[in-house]
Formats: sequence, C-alpha cells, structure tokens
Amino acid sequence: MFRKETMEMIEQELRAKVKALLKEGKVKLVLGYQKGSLPFNATPTIVEDEASAERLIFDFSCGPGLAKYLLRKNIHSPGQKTGIIAKGCDARAVIQYIAEKQLRREDIVIIGVPCQGVIDPNRVRKKIPDKEIVGYAIDGDKFIIRLRDDSVVSLNREEVIARACLRCVYPDALDADIFITQPRKDVEHVNRYNEIMEFEKMGSDERWNYFENEFSRCIRCYACRNACPMCYCEECFVDKTDPQWFGKGTGLSDTMLFHIVRILHVTGRCLDCGLCERVCPMSIDLGLLNGKMNKEVKERFNYIPGLDPERPPALATFDEGDRQEFIL
Amino acid sequence: MSKILKLEKSKLDGLIQFLNKRYELFGPKEINGQIEFARINPGDELRLDFLNTVKSPKDIFFAQTQPILHYKDNSVKEPALKHKPVAIFALHPCDAQAMKVLDKVFTQGKYLDPYWDGRYRDSLIFSIGCNTPATTCFCNCTGLGPFSKAGADIFLTDIGDSLILEACSEKGIYFFKIAEDVAWKEPDDDDLKKAEQIKEAAQLLLSEKFQAQDIKSILEKSWDNPVWDEISNRCLSCGLCSYLCPTCHCFDIQDEKLPGTEQGVRIRIWDSCMFSLFTREASGHNPRPSIAARFRQRVMHKFNYLIDDFGVLGCVGCGRCVQRCPVNVDIREILKGFLNGKG
Repeated sequence: MFRKETMEMIEQELRAKVKALLKEGKVKLVLGYQKGSLPFNATPTIVEDEASAERLIFDFSCGPGLAKYLLRKNIHSPGQKTGIIAKGCDARAVIQYIAEKQLRREDIVIIGVPCQGVIDPNRVRKKIPDKEIVGYAIDGDKFIIRLRDDSVVSLNREEVIARACLRCVYPDALDADIFITQPRKDVEHVNRYNEIMEFEKMGSDERWNYFENEFSRCIRCYACRNACPMCYCEECFVDKTDPQWFGKGTGLSDTMLFHIVRILHVTGRCLDCGLCERVCPMSIDLGLLNGKMNKEVKERFNYIPGLDPERPPALATFDEGDRQEFIL
Repeated sequence: MSKILKLEKSKLDGLIQFLNKRYELFGPKEINGQIEFARINPGDELRLDFLNTVKSPKDIFFAQTQPILHYKDNSVKEPALKHKPVAIFALHPCDAQAMKVLDKVFTQGKYLDPYWDGRYRDSLIFSIGCNTPATTCFCNCTGLGPFSKAGADIFLTDIGDSLILEACSEKGIYFFKIAEDVAWKEPDDDDLKKAEQIKEAAQLLLSEKFQAQDIKSILEKSWDNPVWDEISNRCLSCGLCSYLCPTCHCFDIQDEKLPGTEQGVRIRIWDSCMFSLFTREASGHNPRPSIAARFRQRVMHKFNYLIDDFGVLGCVGCGRCVQRCPVNVDIREILKGFLNGKG
C-alpha cells in the first residue's frame, strides 16, 4: 500500500524547506529534480535561488541518481555547502563518498525524501509493448497507466517499480539533516538476495552462458558506467590509451571483460541502486551480477556499502579475521 | 507492371521467402523482449506494429566493429568486400532517411567508404509508414513525416489485413518485375482511400510544430550560449544517444595485436563525441575538455555543420535519444529553447 501523503504535500514541504535553506544561506545550491519531458522521467536540476525552488518535484519519476553530481568540480567544491534531495540510495552514495574521502560530511546537507521506489520505464514498456504511455496515476497500491488512446492499464507496484527498489531495505535517507514529511520506516524485510540464491543454484556453465547472452548485446555506450555513482575514476581503465588496457570492439571477450572488471571495481562499493540496469538501452541484467557480488561481500566481510562513513570499503582494507579459506 | 500493388498479410510469407533467396534480409523482430532489426529467416515472426526499435538499423551497413585489415608478420590482407545484396523490410521513414544522410557522409565527401558504399548502393529498402508515431517522435520537424518516402525503394502502408506497396525508385520498379510470382493483387479505390486515411490520422499524432532547419542560423551565433552549461550539468556524457542514433557516424580505428605475436587486426569501431577520449590528443591536450563543449559539438554537428558539409540535417526526428536518455536530456526541448530565444 502506498503512503497516504499526496505528492502535493511532499512537494510543498520540499520547496518550502529548500527555500528556507537558500534564504538562510545554509546552502549555495540544491541538487534536485524537476518535471521531465516524459511521464516516467524527471530530470536533474540545480536550484540556486528561492524562485527556482518552485520547480522542484519528488515522485516516482525521480529515477536519475543525484549524488554523483556532487563530485563535479563545477557544481560542488570543498568548503561549499551543497544540498541534495536524497532517496535512500542517494544518501548512501554520499556516505560512501565520505568513506572514500571524496566529500566532507559538513559540506553536504542531506534532504531526505520519502522514497517508495522509482519507476523503471523499461519494465513498463515491456509490460505494455508498443503502446504509447502518456501518463500515470496512483490508485491504492496500483499504478493506473494512461495510454494515448485514453484507455488505461492497471499495473501492480511490482510490475512498475525498478527491481532494485523492490529489494531495497534502505529507502529512507540515512543520516538526513532534514527529512521531508516522514521516513517510511515500514520497509518490508524482503530477502534482497532471493533472486541471487535462485541464480546460484544454476551450474557454472549455465551461469556463464546466461551472462554471455546478456553481455553479447552490449553496445559499449558506457551509460552504466557513467550513471553509476561509484564509477567516478577520473580516467576509467577502459579509456587508458598509453598503453591501452582493453580492446574497444564489441567482440564478446572485450565486452565481457569490460563488465567483469567494472563490476570487480565496484564490488564492496556498489549500493545496489539499480541505475546501471535501468539506464542500459539493451536491458542487460547488470543488477544480477552486481547483486551476486554484493552478497559475496556481505557474507565474507559483513560489509554493506554506504552505511558507515568511518568504515573503508571492504576490499580496500584488511582484517586478520577475513575469511581466507581459498589460500592453501 | 503497376507501380502500386497490394499484398494480403496472409501471403506475406511468399514475399519474405522470395527476398530471403536473393537478399540478406533484415527486418523487425522480437529479441529479448525488444524489437530490433535482425536477420529474418524463414519462419521468423516479423513485427510490423513496432513504435520504434531501441537501436537504429544503421549497423546493417555501418558495423559497430568492422575489421578493415588482418596482418601477420609482413603480410597484410584486407577482408573481401563481396556480399549478397541486403534487403531491409519495414524500415521506418526516419531510419530510411538516416541511411541517406549516412550515404552522403560515406560516399559524397572527400573519401569513399568502401564498407558502406557497395552494400548500401546494392540494397533494397522497404520503408513502412508509421501508423502510430510515438510521442517522442518529431520527424515532422525534420523535413520528413510518418509517411515520408525518402530513401525508400518500395514504400509499404499497413492497411490492416493487407499491405499496399509502392515502388519509389528504379530498384523498386525492377523488384516488382522480378518478383512476379509473389501473390500480388491490384489495390482497389477503397484500399487506396484507407491508406490515405491512415496517413492523415498518423500525421495528427505528431504534436511538435517547430522546424529544425530554422535552428542553424541561431546555432551559428550560439557558441558561447550559457545553455550548454545548463545541459552539461545534467548530461552524463555517455554514448547512449550517439549509439542509438541512426545518423551518428563518427568512428575510431584501432589495431588489435595478439600479445606476443606480430599478428593482429585493424578494426573500425563506432565512437562518440560525447566521450572525452574522442578528442584527446597524444600530448594529453583535449580541445573539448568539458561536457558542455562535447554536447555543443553533438548539436552543432547535427543541426549546423552537416547542412554546410552535405546539405542535410543530421537529425531525422526518430526520438530514440529522447526516449532513452538516462537523465531526460530532451533534444526537442533544447531546440525549442533556441527557437524561443533562449539562445
């Protein structure tokens, strides 16, 4: 069941609080969302004055991640106070950046919003193929999808909301300085690894074949990397040219190697925000591979990224108690 | 033989079989839940009702990874360019026009691209009118329309249980002559009237009204416009828009050597002006150091430079970039902004 607060209530409070922050000089700017050009797609925006705060929204269309913009020097620099409208995953990205010494906590004002998940437009498109969607409304726990011919299709939350959001156990922004309306606190304790445990039952050949099939569709647009909050290297390994580290073609070994290395690089840092799989134009199941690695890190090192700004990433530290049964 | 024919959909198999024998046939089919252009083999289900494919079909002639030579020690071997002619069935008018744009770039400039040239020239393009353009479509703003015949050898109109086929080029007329065994029918006045009604209804579905060609003169004065910074503050600088775009054609050439040998392959691969590596020079200097500079290049190339260089608009209004941009950077909004004086 969806929360009772209307979008209007959330937006009113959001705009009022952002205006107050700007007016009191507590932040120089706020990263947020404004209405996008498509029903399921809000677009990021930077608000620097009170009047602009009127365009801020928060709803199911706010899929893009905002945290990574904090690492752009022309948007945020050390010493500047910057506000961020934060879903649970955005706040965890901020916390992870602090753990990785990319941000200072005192510079950031985390404005938590009551996230109930975001829409994955691709999931809806596959559910209602080749029909033009012009809008949606919420009715109880259903999404009422409006089509161009004025007919409607009623879909369950599970059919519309992004997979990562369905298994999310941290929807409320942790360590929020301000919270808009109330935190959810009502998260169902889903086993976020259910899907992965099913996958683990497959044989190794079967698993390899599955990912071969997935990565064979990759067109190397790097939307996954560029959207990923944890992929922030100034120069990505795949862009190294002197010497060049990786082949750039779309042969399977090159595309698989790119994804495997990228995933190894975010293992123990991945927030399971699902952006990589949501932005992928080829619907590659990146969430499954990331999820598997997250599960490994949780089981081996009892580490979940984005929760503790004091704790370094699991693979960037060593503990005598780490399991090492693989060493003979 | 008439220039306009009719084919009942129940007899479409005959045409597909005929095409399959003589051509390397591509058409829209469902792959992993998405409609894409792919090789059509006998028995494959053609999907004529798609809104738009996720990927453009440009890779049929402009492969994302194209080997251009193999080398071993001191010998070099170029791959043979021989091929069976290609036929593409049910290309949307935007994509058919996009191939004309690419043809200009690859064959009318300083250099002739041998990989594109022969394959496109020998191909047979069946365009299909878009009965239901998507809400992201704006082909009417780029000099086309959902029933534009630009770039078509044969133009199809889906009137329900039948297709109306119109030969639009010498190749199309010739095809009608050789494919005489297909169960063609003569369309009657009702069929043609129906086709006309479908076309009119489709045009009404397009809501954008601006004309993209009007933007060139504004862009010429917009090099320093702050709008580039505003967009770049959102843009992720990924290559999704370029790689889904039916007219983006920039490429890179790479030599891939097998380690420990003197043997390898030179490949031509797609590249995107949205990548910082695209313009990074050997010295490390990058003349387009920012996302703003790169985004400006992409817009300028499509709506300004290509008109100077080849007399064509580099955008066909297919809306793929609009639909899939991870952060909803919508080229239509940007163009309208320029036209409304934001520039």
